[in-house]
Amino acid sequence: MAEVSWICKRTVVSTKPVEAGKFCPLSVLDRIMEHNHVRVVLYYRCPKERKAGESIKMLRESLAELLSAYPIMTGRLLKTAEGHWMIKCNDAGVRMVEARAKGSVDKWLQNFDREKELNLAHWEPMFHKLYFWSTFYVQLTEFEEGGLAIGLSCGHLLSDPICVTIFIKAWADMTLNGKMVTPPLFHRLPRRRQCNETTNPQPFPELINYYKSTLEKPVPVVQAKQTTIKIAFSDEMVRSCIAMSHAPGSPDEPSPTPFQALAGLFWVGISKIKGLKNGLISMSICLDMRKVLGLDKGFFGNCMVYNQVPGDGIEEYELSKAANAIREVVDTMDAEGIMNLIEWMEGKADQFSCLMNGYDLICVDLEHVDSYSAIFEDNFKPIHASYYIEPTVGEGMILVLPSPLAEGSFSRVVMITLPEDEAINLLEDKLIQQFSPTILMMADKKYTTANSDP
Amino acid sequence: MPQILPDFSSSVKLKYVKLGYQYLVNHILTFLLVPIMAGVVLEILRLGPEEMLNIWRSLHFDLLQVLFSSFLIIFIATVYFMSKPRSVYLVDYACYKPPVTCRVPFSTFMEHSRLILKDSPKSVDFQMRILERSGLGEETCLPPAIHYIPPNPTMEDARAEAETVIFAAIDSLMKKTGLKPKDIDILIVNCSLFSPTPSLSAMVINKYKLRSNIKSFNLSGMGCSAGIISIDLARDLLQVYPNSYALVVSTEIITPNYYKGNERAMLLPNCLFRMGGAAILLSNKRREKSRAKYRLVHVVRTHKGADDKAYRCVYEQEDPQGKVGINLSKDLMVIAGEALKSNITTIGPLVLPASEQLLFLFTLIGRKIFNPKWKPYIPDFKQAFEHFCIHAGGRAVIDELQKNLQLSAEHVEASRMTLHRFGNTSSSSLWYELNYIEAKGRMKKGARVWQIAFGSGFKCNSAVWKCNRTIKAPMEGPWQDCIDRYPVHIPEVVKL
Repeated sequence: MAEVSWICKRTVVSTKPVEAGKFCPLSVLDRIMEHNHVRVVLYYRCPKERKAGESIKMLRESLAELLSAYPIMTGRLLKTAEGHWMIKCNDAGVRMVEARAKGSVDKWLQNFDREKELNLAHWEPMFHKLYFWSTFYVQLTEFEEGGLAIGLSCGHLLSDPICVTIFIKAWADMTLNGKMVTPPLFHRLPRRRQCNETTNPQPFPELINYYKSTLEKPVPVVQAKQTTIKIAFSDEMVRSCIAMSHAPGSPDEPSPTPFQALAGLFWVGISKIKGLKNGLISMSICLDMRKVLGLDKGFFGNCMVYNQVPGDGIEEYELSKAANAIREVVDTMDAEGIMNLIEWMEGKADQFSCLMNGYDLICVDLEHVDSYSAIFEDNFKPIHASYYIEPTVGEGMILVLPSPLAEGSFSRVVMITLPEDEAINLLEDKLIQQFSPTILMMADKKYTTANSDP
Repeated sequence: MPQILPDFSSSVKLKYVKLGYQYLVNHILTFLLVPIMAGVVLEILRLGPEEMLNIWRSLHFDLLQVLFSSFLIIFIATVYFMSKPRSVYLVDYACYKPPVTCRVPFSTFMEHSRLILKDSPKSVDFQMRILERSGLGEETCLPPAIHYIPPNPTMEDARAEAETVIFAAIDSLMKKTGLKPKDIDILIVNCSLFSPTPSLSAMVINKYKLRSNIKSFNLSGMGCSAGIISIDLARDLLQVYPNSYALVVSTEIITPNYYKGNERAMLLPNCLFRMGGAAILLSNKRREKSRAKYRLVHVVRTHKGADDKAYRCVYEQEDPQGKVGINLSKDLMVIAGEALKSNITTIGPLVLPASEQLLFLFTLIGRKIFNPKWKPYIPDFKQAFEHFCIHAGGRAVIDELQKNLQLSAEHVEASRMTLHRFGNTSSSSLWYELNYIEAKGRMKKGARVWQIAFGSGFKCNSAVWKCNRTIKAPMEGPWQDCIDRYPVHIPEVVKL
């Protein structure tokens, strides 16, 4: 019995026509993510008097209004003379799917899994004639007994999860107030300022080395069936995790951030599950570089950089050592290093045909993403947000997200994608059980679910 | 320029000769009357007042003669006034402005076409070529049901489109004129391709709770020229019913007529037809004369249906796969040209000034008697009309008429810009064009407007209006937010 049924598929175009002949180039950080796509689902409750189809109509109209400011989203992919991807702003619009789901949104959230959730964010893989392939897909699903799910999927080529969230927030502002608080900015990534002395390029620091080695790897193949689980950590739980991850012998060093602590926790946990004895599994973190590079809040595009965290020296699954290793790597990722990387990548003329996140365990820092302030109607905040970076073909993917609860600034939600059996084992890991977190989304419908967050 | 004098055709002197000739012939009565009046006045002055009184007394007036003469005069005057047709005034009209969210840019249209017709790339290419040369812009609108992939037009969607378009136009008209529903005496709705039961006119009566003794008509199947046919019907009815208001609604409902097949000759309407509608208020009430915008002067209808080729030129039929669509034949333009010639032969004597008619007569006599090889004289209609509203059926139609009537780019600007901004909205396109001219502030009192429309059958209908009062711009209407951007240059081919 299908729970989600399609009503229709259509294209939403901007209300103002785009001038002919406009092109938007894509940066190196965009082009390297060619083979990935992002899917985001936000859940809302609705006012009781809402008639069927009313919410969808309202959102469709405000989306059309908003798209006038985002010609890059309504354009289509085209190759430049050098063979790189760019967007031709041809005013074609984004695809929208309208659907209906049985039950209410609260009931859905008590009993959902990865497969069901991905049904709420329609996606079409790139097809042969790319000029007719929409890069963005929006799905609006109305729950028959109340509630709304907004699903957005897009090619990672155009935007990372943070950029998608900024777009949803702009859409919410447009629906609520009729104007955007943060209009988008489309510009290139910052360049290194030319120094007076002629300096040789930095002799291949670790970041560039990591990218170099990843680009040379062959395209990976999906092996086992992946599943995703979602775990909520309350403010208290995260604080105790941070306390545990703080290196005992160095009190003056800053304590790890929630991301670092949780990433360390799961790095240790997953390495244990996979049965590694000497050191931890190879892990890469993915961080948002907008603040580091000093970019404006409205910047549209990819700005997330991956870096490997060495896990060889860490034995006996020490959480503090893991978190420390992560923190050290985070500290090295400064503006200078990123701009060096960008320059190096621009020098590489060939195609980026690899998957940046296709080999190691990836921990993505999305803890400051602003999903819960995307309010479309007064007093109706999102009650739940899910993010997916697909496809997950490496060892696994961990996304650290903010929590809908307002109780403390340290509460977090973690989404973990792993092969099915490993995911089930992870939940029974003692270290993780120690914090007794709440399980929001289970791997399999067979297991009874814990209570979802109110 | 008449072809009989080719040698002087570049001479400036000939232009003045022509002007002088036109002035003389058009005002011949004045020229004849002035010397006669001068003669009479001179004679009176010469005779003096005393002589005048003597002449007056010498006329023997019998009481009977006086009575008979006055009765005769009164009788003739009454017959004259009674047989004069009632003036029909266009009080005001309103055009429907589709919502911006229904906009269909070229790239979206082509993408949908490619996704829906994935098995016929040749048909998609054909559609693309049509669209590139169509003269449409990026802001034309299709109804919501056609935006779906694939389109799934149901009767409910068609009714919804009809309700949206027609009610919006009528509401706008009522707001502009202060018309109350109970005042409407005659209702005529024309929509060629969508004809449900109960009719669209019944739908309007139901929505606005019109009177039970209303005279309502629903014209369907009459093509793009049905708007003028409705005006003609309203005019005839207003001769029979004194002191009445007639509401005419012209529209074309796109939803049920989207052609789902891939025959090339039938794909053309998909590319050109767009959402639109207009509501027009006509009246024969004396008191509307002061606020009416236009007065209807002539309506000329020409039907070429007797000719088989003309009859089959725009034909609705099923394609080999059983999908219904409208087949446009290749000789459409030729047939349109002939229908136009028929129409202007009838309308010419009604509207052309005497100078043009004389020239035409001389050329005709010359061709018959002296030399059949003389080129027929094409009367200069620019002298008869200030504004032209040519049905925006497609770029080819406007080009053809511009050539045949020797019109300048400014004369056809309203038609071309309407095609660009709204697409081919069928019977209502004439009203969008008229609105364009008004929005540009070009409509002055006394200006004469010629509306020409072609339709399946094959018909060519014209209406001639005379502007009753100068219309000030800026004004509310479908052109309100974009009139400043027009006119735009429309390239021959838009590269997609």
